[in-house]
Amino acid sequence: MTTGGPHLTNPLPPAAVLGIGAVTPMGRDLPTIAKRLSEPVEPAPLLRVSDDLLADPTVSRGLRRADRFVRMAAIAALDAWTQAQNACAGVPMERVGLIVTSGLGPHGRGFKFLDGILDCGDSDALPTDFSHSVHGVAASYIAGLLDLRGPSLSTTDFESGFEQAVLQAQCWLNSGSCARVLLGAVEELGEVLIRCASRLLPGNPPFALGEGAVFLTLGPSDAGGIAHLDATASAKDVGLLILDEPSFFPQSAFFPSPGTPGEGQGGGSPRPIGAPPPPQPSPGVPGEGETFSGRYASTFSPYFGHTASNSAFQSLGGLLSLSAGRPLGRLIHAPSQPSPRPPFDNAATFRALCDRSASLLLTLTK
Amino acid sequence: MTTTGTSPVWIAGIGVVSAAGIGLPATLAAFRNSVRRPSAVLPFETSISCPTFQVTADLPVLPARYNNSRTLRLTMLAVGQALAEAGIQGFNAATRVGVAAGTTVASQLNNIPFYEAYRRIDSPPLDAIHDYLHANLAQAVGDLLQVTGPRMTIVNACSSGTDAIGVAASWIHAGLCDVAIAGGGDELNRVALAGFWSLGVSSSEPCAPFDRHRAGLNLGEGAGIVVLESDAHARRRGRKNAFQVAGFGTACDAHHLTAPHPEGRGLHAAISWALAQGQIGPAQVAFINAHGTATADNDRAEGKVLARIFGPEVRFLSTKGYTGHTLGAAGGLEAAFTILGLREGWLPASMGFENPADDIPVAPLRQRTTISGEYAMSTSLAFGGNNSAVLIRRFA
Repeated sequence: MTTGGPHLTNPLPPAAVLGIGAVTPMGRDLPTIAKRLSEPVEPAPLLRVSDDLLADPTVSRGLRRADRFVRMAAIAALDAWTQAQNACAGVPMERVGLIVTSGLGPHGRGFKFLDGILDCGDSDALPTDFSHSVHGVAASYIAGLLDLRGPSLSTTDFESGFEQAVLQAQCWLNSGSCARVLLGAVEELGEVLIRCASRLLPGNPPFALGEGAVFLTLGPSDAGGIAHLDATASAKDVGLLILDEPSFFPQSAFFPSPGTPGEGQGGGSPRPIGAPPPPQPSPGVPGEGETFSGRYASTFSPYFGHTASNSAFQSLGGLLSLSAGRPLGRLIHAPSQPSPRPPFDNAATFRALCDRSASLLLTLTK
Repeated sequence: MTTTGTSPVWIAGIGVVSAAGIGLPATLAAFRNSVRRPSAVLPFETSISCPTFQVTADLPVLPARYNNSRTLRLTMLAVGQALAEAGIQGFNAATRVGVAAGTTVASQLNNIPFYEAYRRIDSPPLDAIHDYLHANLAQAVGDLLQVTGPRMTIVNACSSGTDAIGVAASWIHAGLCDVAIAGGGDELNRVALAGFWSLGVSSSEPCAPFDRHRAGLNLGEGAGIVVLESDAHARRRGRKNAFQVAGFGTACDAHHLTAPHPEGRGLHAAISWALAQGQIGPAQVAFINAHGTATADNDRAEGKVLARIFGPEVRFLSTKGYTGHTLGAAGGLEAAFTILGLREGWLPASMGFENPADDIPVAPLRQRTTISGEYAMSTSLAFGGNNSAVLIRRFA
């Protein structure tokens, strides 16, 4: 499946990003995250969210039964909503949509419920473990905390959930069904996943597993905000191309010649067994002969790790880069002629999809 | 929230797979004869004793990587029926086909044998994880049909199937696809059974929606699929469809993780939105296929809302007495049953209902009933406080 220009012959207006909230291995408050994204990062096999970030006294009552999965989502959602407070003033809560996407969902709590079945029997497992093991649990908590009474969607996808969610938010905003959409992704590093990962991803994969939550408050394109986000546009001319993992992408697919390396270069190493084949860039994304010469490319995977919702974290990196006016993350391509620099006012996330030989993209415009 | 748009969303075909029947003729026969087939024998070992509604038909054999997902096999059976009814043999490359699918079981790694092995040994077989990773419902359906277009797997618990139809309709309204395959599928699963049992909302007897003595739900399995198409696509292939998605509304209670708002606040809003989109009043709705799980809270809240909006003479039923609660499939199945009711001009008895309940101000249909009208509605309530309503319109 491809989202982005090629299939969407009827592009929708972009969504305005009015607020950002994030709970990540790089921190929670945005200036801290941006600062850390501009610094080198040591390789680590797992990138976890610090427990300290999840103990927020302002929401402790509402989250007293909540586990790590819910807390990451709820706190990021709360931050995104709070940052957009002025832009959301006067909007009826019935007209605020909520979309929460996750690949693996609250699987830690799910396995806890299975522990209950195996240890106590089918009839005596804990009901709260069951009710907190379903995908919709995060959306339910967020709706309750913020009194959101519009449409609520929980979705799941192992690769493209965030892109799908952005597309749906654009549908809702463009049709006038919603005045605002609080949209986010959440992924949890569970023990079962960690223990099985080395066998699921053999060959010492060149990336760390990550976790966290990224939420955005979105409005219609004329609502102002920090930037615009679009799952329907093509992206042949972007200031910053954000790649999942450099080694997924042969540079020749994007760049006519090796770019000027940035500091802390990544990329270029062969893919391990089981990794996706080189992507076939979609018509909306430059392929052979259509290049990004003179532009930047970064990856944020060394900072946030890999999750099923990579695009959410990539978008966070892109938004922070646009705010900073320079590419953050691990730079993997830079203009060969440093001056005059091309205008740096837009970015695109680009993902290769395992087994599908397709591509996904989201565009961000300042 | 409603899905607004100017482009009509036609319903070109429906597919139904449930314990009530495989396909439309078998399902109609069960409805006509008030036959239900709860099974006391479960397809897995468990200490819980309760009726379930199982699909006993042979399911399609899928390519190996997909074939261990019973949910996907149930869904593909319904997809095949719906496409056949729509007169669609295949899609050309230029046709943008979206897939919006609701599920619960297929979205979770609820595999007890795997987890038992994981707890016992260092290196448990990973087949279950590989199967799970290939079983994302919308992606798998799209891959099997080899179609390109938006895809979304919706995990809104029991309203997932209805929400999938709403999402797919919004894609067509927005011009994002020409055709959309929408609905849901779910299989019986030991973990879900234990979960609902632990919550105290399962009945050890065949379920009795809206009845005074209702004691909880029975789980079922199945799939319900509708094929939606844009007006332009229908005209291009010379297709005259008889049914439309005339309205969709969805609203969150923002009240409780597992219980509905006691006054049905979100459901009231969802129904109101759907009526507003259809530009009709409640009196124009011929009947409602209610969520009607037979749990105390759901039926009380839903009954109050139906009475409040549609009045004391509202015609409604729950088909869960025939199918059990099929979770992510329920919204797709019940939308399809709503279309069938409008098409056939009669409704089955609301199976399991005998005695009016003191706490519910309205009662469902006791017997097979002739109906006429242009509009009907299907409603869904879910864990998490989701409420959704889809309004169907019949054209002569």
